[in-house]
Amino acid sequence: MERGFTLWFTGLSGAGKTTLAQLVERLLRERGRRVELLDGDVVRTHLSKGLGFSRDDRDTNILRIGFVCDLLSRNGIIAIASAISPYRETRDHVRSMISDFVEVYVDTPLEECRRRDVKGLYRQALTGRVSAFTGVSDPYEPPLAAEITVHTVGRSPEECAAEIIGWLERRGYLDPVATPAVNMVPGNVQHDQQAKEEAEAYSPEEEADVSARLEALGYL
Amino acid sequence: MEQTNSRRRVLVIGLDCAAPELVFERWRDQLPTFARLMDQGVYGRLESCIPPITVPAWMSMLTSKDPGELGIYGFRNRIEPTYRETAVANSTYVKERVVWDVLGNAGKHVVLVGIPCTYPPRPVNGEMVTCFLTPSLESEFTYPAALKQEVRAVVGEYLFDVRDFRTEDKQYLLDQIYLMTHRRFTLVRHLMQTRPWDFFMFVEMGTDRIHHGLWKYMDAEHRKHPGPTPLLHAIRDYYRYLDHQIADLLANVGDETTVLVVSDHGAKRMDGGICLNEWLIREGYLVLKNQPQGIVPLEKAEVDWERTRAWGAGGYYGRVFLNVRGREPNGCVAPEEYEALRDELTAKLEALGDENGQPIGTRVARPETTYKTVCNIAPDLIVLFGDLLWRSVGTIGHGAIHTFENDTGPDDANHAQYGMFIMRGAGVPAMGEVPAHHLMDIAPTILEALGVTVPPDMRGTPIQAALASATPNTPPGTRGETLVKS
Repeated sequence: MERGFTLWFTGLSGAGKTTLAQLVERLLRERGRRVELLDGDVVRTHLSKGLGFSRDDRDTNILRIGFVCDLLSRNGIIAIASAISPYRETRDHVRSMISDFVEVYVDTPLEECRRRDVKGLYRQALTGRVSAFTGVSDPYEPPLAAEITVHTVGRSPEECAAEIIGWLERRGYLDPVATPAVNMVPGNVQHDQQAKEEAEAYSPEEEADVSARLEALGYL
Repeated sequence: MEQTNSRRRVLVIGLDCAAPELVFERWRDQLPTFARLMDQGVYGRLESCIPPITVPAWMSMLTSKDPGELGIYGFRNRIEPTYRETAVANSTYVKERVVWDVLGNAGKHVVLVGIPCTYPPRPVNGEMVTCFLTPSLESEFTYPAALKQEVRAVVGEYLFDVRDFRTEDKQYLLDQIYLMTHRRFTLVRHLMQTRPWDFFMFVEMGTDRIHHGLWKYMDAEHRKHPGPTPLLHAIRDYYRYLDHQIADLLANVGDETTVLVVSDHGAKRMDGGICLNEWLIREGYLVLKNQPQGIVPLEKAEVDWERTRAWGAGGYYGRVFLNVRGREPNGCVAPEEYEALRDELTAKLEALGDENGQPIGTRVARPETTYKTVCNIAPDLIVLFGDLLWRSVGTIGHGAIHTFENDTGPDDANHAQYGMFIMRGAGVPAMGEVPAHHLMDIAPTILEALGVTVPPDMRGTPIQAALASATPNTPPGTRGETLVKS
C-alpha cells in the first residue's frame, strides 16, 4: 500500500487554501495517487451541516474533518483538508490524531485577503453583517511550526503548488517523478522558494562572517 | 516572579560536548552538584547521531528525528548540486517540530537560551535568545524582539561565543570562556526568576570550546601533551566552575522540577588530521588543473571537474561527494558506476592507516542506510576518521596525507560518539547509572515529564519508560550499541 498522509491547509479566508489544495490534488492524481479533498465550506453542507461559527462548533467541524482524514490516510489515501481552522490547539488536536500529518500554512497577509475578498465576506464582516469572522472579529492563531509555509503574494498558484510537491518529495512522502537510476539522494535536484529563503537567513556578509568563525572553530 | 511548586516543570541544562567519563568517573568526587543529581536520579551515556556534530545533534535531540530526516548534515550544507553552493544551517532549515513547538501548542511556557540552530529566532510560546550562530549583537536575536534590550540591561554585552578561538594564548582563551559562561548563567538565572516557565532550556558552549582548546594539557595520551603545566587542571577547574553555577540555579528550583543535564556528543583527544582532498588527488579521484601554491581551500583551487570523480570537505568528520553525471553540472561518474565507486572509496578509506600505516579504525557511513529518510542534499559518504580520533582536513597543498598541524589553528580534541545525560526529578527513581540512551529519546522524555502527549512521529522513547523495566546498574552502553538509530 502506498503511504497515505494528511495535507492540512490552514490560513485566513481568501488566503488561497482552496485554490492550492485543488491544484495539489490535481498534481497528485496525475501521479496516479488516490486523493480526497475535504474542503471546509463543502464539509459544512454535509458532514457538519447545521454547525455555526462559535468556538465549539468550529472545533467540532475541524475534529470531524480530522477524523475523516485519519481514516483515509490510514488506508493509503492522501487526504487534503482545506479549512481556516483558526485555533492552534484544535489543529494540534487533529495532528495528534493522525500519524502522518503535514500542516501547510497558507501565509497571506490579512490586508491581501481583504483586497482579494473573493467571496465578499470581508466587506460583510467589516460592515457587521457577518459576525465571528476570522481575522476581523474572531482570532486566527498562525501555526508556530507548520511543516510547510507558503507565501502567496506575488507568486502564481502553480509556483506555490510546486513548492508543496517539492517538499513532499524531499521529505519522502512522495517518490520523485523521475526516479534516478542510482541513489542520487531523493529530492536533491528539487529547488523551491523555501530552499532559497532558507539560504537567505543570513546576508552575504553575515554568511561569510559566520562561516569564517565556524572554520576557526574547526567545524568546517 | 514567584514560582509555584505544584506545577510540573522541566529544566534542561545543555553542555555542548560534555564528556561522560569526566563527569561520571574522573572528577565525580570534585563535582558535588553533578554528583548529587546523579545520586538522586539516573545517569548514563547518550548516543549521538552520525555525524556527532553540534547543529544536527542538538536538533536531532530536540525534534527526535535523525539528521537525514532533518536534512541537516553539518554546519554547512549543499543547497544545490553544484560545486560551490553551500549555506550555513539556520533555524529556517528545521522543518520538523521541535519539542518547544509541541509544548507551546500544549500551552506550556518555554524559555530557551543559546540552543544551537535557533538563529534567526522563531516565535515560541515564551522567550528565546538565539545561539552562537547569531551574526552579532546587532542582529535580531531574541523572541520577542523586545527581550534584546532586557538582555543588554541584565548582562551588558552578551557573548554568543568566544572570540579569537584559534589562539596559542590559552590564558586569553580561558578568560573568554569564563566570561561567556558567566554572562550566560547570569542571563539564565534572571530569566528563570522572572518568567513563569514550564520548560527552561539553555546550552552552554564553553565545555566544547575548552575541550578543543585545552584537551592536550590534561590528557597524557595526547601526542602534544606537554607534561605538567599550569594548564593541567584547566578543564577540571572549568567543570568545577560549572558545578557551582548549576548549584546556584538549582537553589531556585524545587526537587519536584525535573532536571536534565545533557550533552550532544562527547569528546576525545585528536591524534591528527587526514587531508581528505590530498588523498583523493593522490588516488586519482580528484584532478586539479594547476597545483596551488601553499595550503589553500579546495574552493580556491582550479579543479578539473570533467575528470574529477569525487571531492571532499573537512571538519571534525569527512564528507565525500561524487561527481555524478546528470546530477552535478560536469558530472563524470555514470549513474551505473555510482555504487561501485562508493564501495571502492569506502574500502580504501577504511583501510587508510596512520602515518606509519597502522590501522586507525575509520568508519564510513552511507546516508541511505544511516538515516530513516534522506532529505535535502546529503554527502555521498560520511567518514569518521580513526573513529573520530582524527579529523578531516579539506584544504590542499599539504604535500602529505597526514597532518599534525590543524589547517585552521590549534585544536586538541575531536567529538566522541557518546555524550551524557543525568536526570533527576519527581517520579525518577534513584537508580544510578542506567544503559545508554539515544539523543532522540530526549524530546519524548521532556514531553513525558510535562505530561504532554508524545507525537507518534517522534523516533525516540521516553527515558522514563525504559526505567520502568530496567534493573539498576546494568552495564552502560548495552542499549546504545545496538540502537543505531542514526
